[in-house]
Amino acid sequence: MTADEDPLEASAEELYEDAPCGYLSTTMDGTIVRVNRTFETLSGHRREDLIGVARFQDLLAPGDRIYHDTHHLPMLHLRGAVREIAVEVMRPDGSRLPALVNSMVRRDREGAARAIGVSVFDATERRRYEQGLLEARRREHEVALELQRGLLTGAPPAAPGLEIGVAYKPGVSDLEAGGDWYDAFWLEEGAAVALVVGDVVGRGIGAAATMGQLRSAARALAAGRPEPGALIDALEGYSRRHAVGRMATLVYAELELDVGRLRFACAGHPPPVLVAPGAPARLLWEGRSTPLDARPSAPPRRDDVCTLPAGGAVVLYTDGLFERRTRPLDEGLARLVAEVEARRDAPAEELAHGLVRAMLPSGNADDVCALVARRRSAPEA
Amino acid sequence: MLLAHGFGCDQGMWRHVWPAFAEDHRVITFDHVGHGGSDAGAYDPERHATLRGYAEDVLDIVRELDLRDLVFVGHSVSSMIGALAAAEEPDRFAHLVLVGPSPRYIDDEGYVGGFTREDIEGLLESMDSNYLGWAGAMAPVIMGNADRPELGEELAETFCRADPELARRFARATFLADNRADLARVRTPSLVLQCARDVIAPDAVGEYVHRALPGSRLVRLAATGHCPNLSAPQETVAAIRAYLAA
Repeated sequence: MTADEDPLEASAEELYEDAPCGYLSTTMDGTIVRVNRTFETLSGHRREDLIGVARFQDLLAPGDRIYHDTHHLPMLHLRGAVREIAVEVMRPDGSRLPALVNSMVRRDREGAARAIGVSVFDATERRRYEQGLLEARRREHEVALELQRGLLTGAPPAAPGLEIGVAYKPGVSDLEAGGDWYDAFWLEEGAAVALVVGDVVGRGIGAAATMGQLRSAARALAAGRPEPGALIDALEGYSRRHAVGRMATLVYAELELDVGRLRFACAGHPPPVLVAPGAPARLLWEGRSTPLDARPSAPPRRDDVCTLPAGGAVVLYTDGLFERRTRPLDEGLARLVAEVEARRDAPAEELAHGLVRAMLPSGNADDVCALVARRRSAPEA
Repeated sequence: MLLAHGFGCDQGMWRHVWPAFAEDHRVITFDHVGHGGSDAGAYDPERHATLRGYAEDVLDIVRELDLRDLVFVGHSVSSMIGALAAAEEPDRFAHLVLVGPSPRYIDDEGYVGGFTREDIEGLLESMDSNYLGWAGAMAPVIMGNADRPELGEELAETFCRADPELARRFARATFLADNRADLARVRTPSLVLQCARDVIAPDAVGEYVHRALPGSRLVRLAATGHCPNLSAPQETVAAIRAYLAA
């Protein structure tokens, strides 16, 4: 009885030829020595045109050929097997077969690599789905950036005694962009200004939306002129009640222009840098507490006060500015202070941008933001 | 001897080659930024937007270690990186060994690089769609044996592992480059190693590099493909040795 009559009795040869995936055997350089019928059907190539003539990589789309020679083969040499490589096989009629490829090195008795077994799976539908997902992810990244940009527009307050500069660079990685925000607004026109820099957990559209809520809430709460610690307590209350922005960090500061009184609080956020004439730049380590809603209940938050003399500047920023995967944190902070020192007299805008340039010679995966407020002695009336 | 890996993997590409020179050379291998064990924090989008930045990295190594009388062995794109570095500081370079070099991958009027711009876009797409699959390929469940078990797990774990975003940008810097005009600036004696049936750097391109490089030798290997350092390390070593002895 033949397999045509009873598939359960099919010979090894028949199982090979009509396996549910395309199958090729090649020499170590890819030259095809054997293919099965399924591969002929999937690829549209006839075996007599392939065997001894073509290499497997010759059948791939040009970009995939580069990928094959620079990634797939080296890995195969090292590991002996590679799985789930996405390629497009070129058909003789010019169409392409999206495929997933598994490869395995076959050895002789002495252990010498002699042949490569390649199985080829039709992945047309799966690839279409993946392309859709990639496209959706790209779009989400763009929407998040758009949303974030939209929320962060608007000229910062300006007055004869005040100069504010902002540098903001969204992260290049779509996995990390979307959560940083900055804000500067009048508490009392021409007399007192609020400065805020914050960072919410998460990424993408969700993070951008959360950031927008916290930013608006902070603005609304600031109207009552609470002390910075109390403002963050109230913001935490908002965060709890509305289940938004848990574990967000922020620094909030209030600057009175006439006397230079700077009152500030840091909720789990990196410390501001203060640079004043005649004194070295330093980190403001006071007024610290935990991120929003980090603990079920906590004592009232602390804040602290210092003086920002005329001619001095304070720098608020997010951790993307100084954090490096490969370097200790205090090293990054020390560098930041040194970079502020090096620009101690620069205009606010220049200082902010100069810092981002100097601190980020590398591609910033994460968002980065620096806000500088410089106090100028008011011109003689 | 300083060995520089090409696009795609890392210094592990030289593992069958460098030991053959360790006896009579001080041998140095490294990973380009974003690849293998490199510090991704050292990546600078402006500096590394073109191959010149990678050449600066090579010169940083050369100066830091105060290398002189240097044999620079570059695979694939690193042959151009080495050529740029040698043109900048010729005094330090004694020889360039260019394995599968190409000064321009995209066809141009009167020049066949082997690819179109669309092909390179296809490569970037291929890198994108293999981003997840590649993680699968790295999974610990591997059938068969690695070809050199003595390599140890460390290399197997990191080999070919690159920061996807940086690798993508390296692909752009590599395959959109046009360094044809730079070849004439190179004064260092050079060996061009050309493989058979290399789709990435075809024979005509190797020939072009040889003609454009004053004082170069062209040697055709029997090895096929783009990675003779992996597929035919003995032939590669022998060709380099014969050239250096001449």
